[in-house]
Amino acid sequence: MRVLSIAWVNTKRFLRERSNVFFVFVFPLLIVLLIGVAFGNSFDTRVGLYVDDAGGPLVDELVTALEDVGDLAVERYGSQAALVDDVQRGALQGGVVVPAGYDATLRSGAAVEIGFVSRPDQSSLLVGETVRAAVVAEAIPLKAAQFVAPTATFDEALALARLVASGPSVTVAYREAGESLFEDFRNLGTFDLGAHQELVLFVFVTSLAGSAALIQTRQLGVARRMLSTPTPVVTILGGETLGRFAVAMVQGLYIMVGTMVVFGVSWGDPLGAIAILVVFSLVGAAAGMLFGSIFSNDQQAGGIGVLVGLGLAALGGAMAPVEIFPDAMKTIAKATPHAWAIDGYAELVRRGGSFVDILPNLGILAAFAAVILALGVWQLRRALIR
Amino acid sequence: MRAALRIAWKDLTLRLRDRSAIIWGIVAPLLLASVFSLILGEVTDPDAIDVTIAVVDDDGGEVSQGFVAAVRELGDQGVFDVVFGTSAREAEQQAEDGEIDAAIVIPAGFTDAVVGGRASEIVVVGHVDSPIGSQVARAVATGFAGEVNGISVAVGTAIAASGDDLDDLDALVADAAAAPTPLGLDTETEASKELSASTFYAAAMAVFFLFFTVQFGVIGLLEERTQGTMARLLAAPIPRASIIFGKAITSFVLGIVSMAVLVVVTSLLPFMDADWGDPIGVAILVVSGVLAAMGVMTIVATFAKTPETATNIQAVVAFLLGMLGGAFFPLSQLGGVVARLSLLTPHAWFLRGLGDLSAGGGPGDILVEAGFILLFAVVTTGFALTRLRRTVEL
Repeated sequence: MRVLSIAWVNTKRFLRERSNVFFVFVFPLLIVLLIGVAFGNSFDTRVGLYVDDAGGPLVDELVTALEDVGDLAVERYGSQAALVDDVQRGALQGGVVVPAGYDATLRSGAAVEIGFVSRPDQSSLLVGETVRAAVVAEAIPLKAAQFVAPTATFDEALALARLVASGPSVTVAYREAGESLFEDFRNLGTFDLGAHQELVLFVFVTSLAGSAALIQTRQLGVARRMLSTPTPVVTILGGETLGRFAVAMVQGLYIMVGTMVVFGVSWGDPLGAIAILVVFSLVGAAAGMLFGSIFSNDQQAGGIGVLVGLGLAALGGAMAPVEIFPDAMKTIAKATPHAWAIDGYAELVRRGGSFVDILPNLGILAAFAAVILALGVWQLRRALIR
Repeated sequence: MRAALRIAWKDLTLRLRDRSAIIWGIVAPLLLASVFSLILGEVTDPDAIDVTIAVVDDDGGEVSQGFVAAVRELGDQGVFDVVFGTSAREAEQQAEDGEIDAAIVIPAGFTDAVVGGRASEIVVVGHVDSPIGSQVARAVATGFAGEVNGISVAVGTAIAASGDDLDDLDALVADAAAAPTPLGLDTETEASKELSASTFYAAAMAVFFLFFTVQFGVIGLLEERTQGTMARLLAAPIPRASIIFGKAITSFVLGIVSMAVLVVVTSLLPFMDADWGDPIGVAILVVSGVLAAMGVMTIVATFAKTPETATNIQAVVAFLLGMLGGAFFPLSQLGGVVARLSLLTPHAWFLRGLGDLSAGGGPGDILVEAGFILLFAVVTTGFALTRLRRTVEL
């Protein structure tokens, strides 16, 4: 019972700090929202379009042709300078500049040079080839119309050319082949991946930052007073660990339920999802204990805790998916508990696995927890009774 | 002034001794920037895209050979790598295995079909994880098909327009082939203002943690109060302003020194090799960035009673501004409302300014960016000063 009351006091002390409430409850959902909004929509290539005059029906057709290219999102710009600037800054992969008098020039039988603004990098130049293909296709009936123009008006000839163009022609058949490394990402909702990553990131960062409270317990003399009572050291250690574990669990459950309700995030098999959270929270609590015992300055422990938490999260794939890491970094990622927890959620949600499928992940996480907790308790025991 | 310098000197030695300034100002940004560069450097580098396309000409006729020559030229220009395969099946298998990004196969009898006015199909097979490579292969094939169709459509239209009387089909085809194509695409390459991946992470983490580093000055005011030394300072024959000024010097020096160290170290570290650009331009951006960070962090501190609360709220504000400013992922590239909101932060302008410098710009090219950051600094500092008086009390 005394274990529980120590744990309860710890939890209460943590939640009373208002900025903790922000980082534990508000911030994670904000980030999930931001990542979802920023990256969830589409991975369309963005291309800007600037027309140097009021345009005309032929310009409209060109624009429609560009918009019809798959994976290409066309955005209209009101000024060429703004378009060029956005291309240079990488906000656009390229920019199409339609010169003034596009319609009139074509009708008069002359040629038009459409401008393509690109950056010197490969991705931008490649988009240029895509735009070029659309322009070439657009030119087919125009060329035919100009070709026969002496014998008919341009518009009649153009209509005729369109009719002819719809006849037998050279076409391009496209198919995708191979197995995608990202196959199982396709089963994910807009906010899913972000939510899984943030859960792991925040539970761990909060636990490490919470190590500051452990140091305060010693600084403020709470530990000494507890030790002066007939309370065994084991009980105090247990209570401290449990307090940290409780905070991690509260935050984890909150993120799970919150993202489920607000963003419709899927967490897969509930039993499995909770199991991962429990074991991962244990790892976090254990790491918090270890931190709280090796540092003696609460400011330092808190700061370095956040830092180590963020660093491990990045390495473990909680900021960008491990799947896109270089091979060496993929191997290093396996040394973090984060990677195993995220992989567990991937198994549950993306691959539709059940509790049994994530047993290896749970086992490895439990091993992490056991080793770190043993180290932490041993260190803290020394720090307490010193 | 001498009093202010003394206070600053005392604070600086204190911060160096408890290492907190070194941790937040140098170790933290360096560590995170390194991790990000290591895990994401390859992915986010726009130049890292290497496209290989295989071309198989099963036809070998006049028309298809024209295509092969055109693709070879694109390969020679370095737009993408071209390999010429002999078997359609082999090339498609390579695309399926991901050894190449895409395969383009021109079927046997292609030239005959084109000359005879019959339908024909070029096959493009793209690897599922090479969206850009596949898109390019399709574009190249579509472009070629468009040229061929352009001639046949012109001929067909001419025949249809003139009724039945065609005197000489061969001459007509030759005319159509010689007729100029009415649309051309003229590529104009502009200098990139995108930062390389490692430069981006170095700069983004530096400016993000700058907001933590400068807080030590103003936090010092609150600490003097809780430690009881504020009473002694106030009792001393020095103006209150010099107490504030001393703390400001502390923040400024910490900010400038940490940024300078980061610029130099990230440029020298072999695996980062960050390229910050024109030194004077960087200096202007850094100084205005430090002032902006000081302004906003001072405001936050004046709302707190204890140093702990101040540090906590400052962390919240620094994280929010950093996220919105695109210090963790480049939000400004995504367009829309988020990109516009992003420009409310000094972080976004700082990174934009560095982008201008990376395109070879000098101090003159970053005046707008530096101006926005300084405006942010002036507004926040002005507001902070109206509130700061009540902090320098008991």
